Amino acid sequence: MKTPELINFLKEVQVSGREASVLEKVYAFVVRDFRTWWTYKLWVSIDILGTLTFVVSYYFVSKIVSPDILEAAGYGRDYLTFAVIGVAFQQYVFSSVSTLSESIRGEQWDGTMETILSSKTGFKTFLLGEAVFRFIMGSYFLLAALLVGVTIGVRITMNLGSILSAALMTILLIASHMIVGILGASLILKIKEGDPIVWSFSWLTQLFSGVLYPLNLLPSQVSWVGAIFPLTYSLDGIRRCLTVEATIFTPTVAEDIVKLAVFIAVSLPIALKAFKMAYDSTRSEGSLGQY
Amino acid sequence: MSDSALLAIFREEAPRLRSTFRQIYAVVWANLRIFFSYKFAVIMDLLSMVASIVMYFIMGLLVDPTQLSSRGYGNSYAAFVLVGVATQQYLWICLSRLSHMIQHDIRGGTLETVAVTQIRMGAYFLGQTIRGYLISLFSLLGMFAVGLFALGIPLVINIHTVGAAIVAFVLMIVANQAIGFATAGIVMVYKRGDPITFMLSGLNEFLSGVLYPLAMLQQFPIVYWMAQALPYTYALDAMRKALIGGATLLSPDVYFDVITLVIFSVVLLPIGLKVLQMGYNKIRENGTMATY
Repeated sequence: MKTPELINFLKEVQVSGREASVLEKVYAFVVRDFRTWWTYKLWVSIDILGTLTFVVSYYFVSKIVSPDILEAAGYGRDYLTFAVIGVAFQQYVFSSVSTLSESIRGEQWDGTMETILSSKTGFKTFLLGEAVFRFIMGSYFLLAALLVGVTIGVRITMNLGSILSAALMTILLIASHMIVGILGASLILKIKEGDPIVWSFSWLTQLFSGVLYPLNLLPSQVSWVGAIFPLTYSLDGIRRCLTVEATIFTPTVAEDIVKLAVFIAVSLPIALKAFKMAYDSTRSEGSLGQY
Repeated sequence: MSDSALLAIFREEAPRLRSTFRQIYAVVWANLRIFFSYKFAVIMDLLSMVASIVMYFIMGLLVDPTQLSSRGYGNSYAAFVLVGVATQQYLWICLSRLSHMIQHDIRGGTLETVAVTQIRMGAYFLGQTIRGYLISLFSLLGMFAVGLFALGIPLVINIHTVGAAIVAFVLMIVANQAIGFATAGIVMVYKRGDPITFMLSGLNEFLSGVLYPLAMLQQFPIVYWMAQALPYTYALDAMRKALIGGATLLSPDVYFDVITLVIFSVVLLPIGLKVLQMGYNKIRENGTMATY
């Protein structure tokens, strides 16, 4: 897609005279962001190198881990698989969500946010367009991490039912963390600095969601904290599907799905409301493009 | 120090040589004030730091202690990883702080402004570097405090072991700061150096054995050889041998690590400073101090 075509999508003025659909605009955002990303080829290589080194690091860690505690928690005896799934999915959602906030800060910093929003492209389309590319890239690196993992010993089941169940859990994982991203973006719009929500979620989930260790290792006084975060249920379900051939019909996985669905149903309206309030407030103050 | 006092130092007409220390002090102080003005970010940094130590402490419960003790690092993974994770942030600061600051100042247009004042650029760069050290020292001490007093992680703390660890730590800073100076010189000219610092930092973390004993790399000779080419590998080994194994500067392993770090420092520091100076001279010649 050529640059003038991209601009036309964002302007909503097509050669044919019809208005561009939301899908076409989101596509234009994705192509724009991909082209910007591809410009920094050294960065691309470093991203790939980073994925490789994190997987290989846990390969070495797995060699000094005693698998008994892992087995007692119901995740088999393979720590490499446990850790790679945990870190890869945690990184996936948080790199996707945090880069969404970062891109909004970048657009504010560069002064391009007001330019886009003063066109016929609305904020919802803008937000969606910014988010989709991040999740595509996140998915790419998630798959790369799993692929590198498989080549060095990560064992993932090939059972179709389990893979489809893991895919469903991943969709719920994305949906639940988009809500976190929306909350983070609304705060960024208002306070113009940092990314407190995404940041808090990141370190709290690392600690309490069982990314690197099973939750039965947590002291009983704090083990309830993990229950607040959707990553806890997502990781539990995805691990059970990919390692011990569980499916959505397995009771523990079904329970995880219900909890994720409840989280999404309760928090989505709250996040959208918070975002609308922040957006309206910054527009009424005229500070949308300020940083 | 008040805003007006800081501005007076930056503006002062005193001969540059005489006022170098005051200028460094002013740059450090000004930047610390900026850092602490982001109170929420400071709190989040502290919480992240505590969370990462607690996380590795819990992860340590999974580790088979014989796998560590057979490689000479005691039997506590929490102690092993505490030394690695706590010093890793310093490594990142040495490698990237100056180049990030320069990129930030170039983008914000403030590097040019500072360059035309009376302040010596050497003092400015050093002040920015020291600011990074001070903030990271805060994190480093905080991590050790949480590890020692809150989690009861077993470290051998006496004047000989701590002394040996500090010597290795200071030499680690010198050797890696030299690489950081060179990176900053390159960033000034080419404007985009983040990939270089990320790559260097990532490779150091991976190859130097932050999360696992380095001896495990021996089954991959090329990777092991690469690890041996990094100063952080020796510093981490010496600090662990001292703080976990109770070794001192006179212990053969630590002694060897320290000598190797001295050689790295002596070779790398002049090169790093030269590249930084060349980079600065180049952007002045080209008139690209505010271009990004």
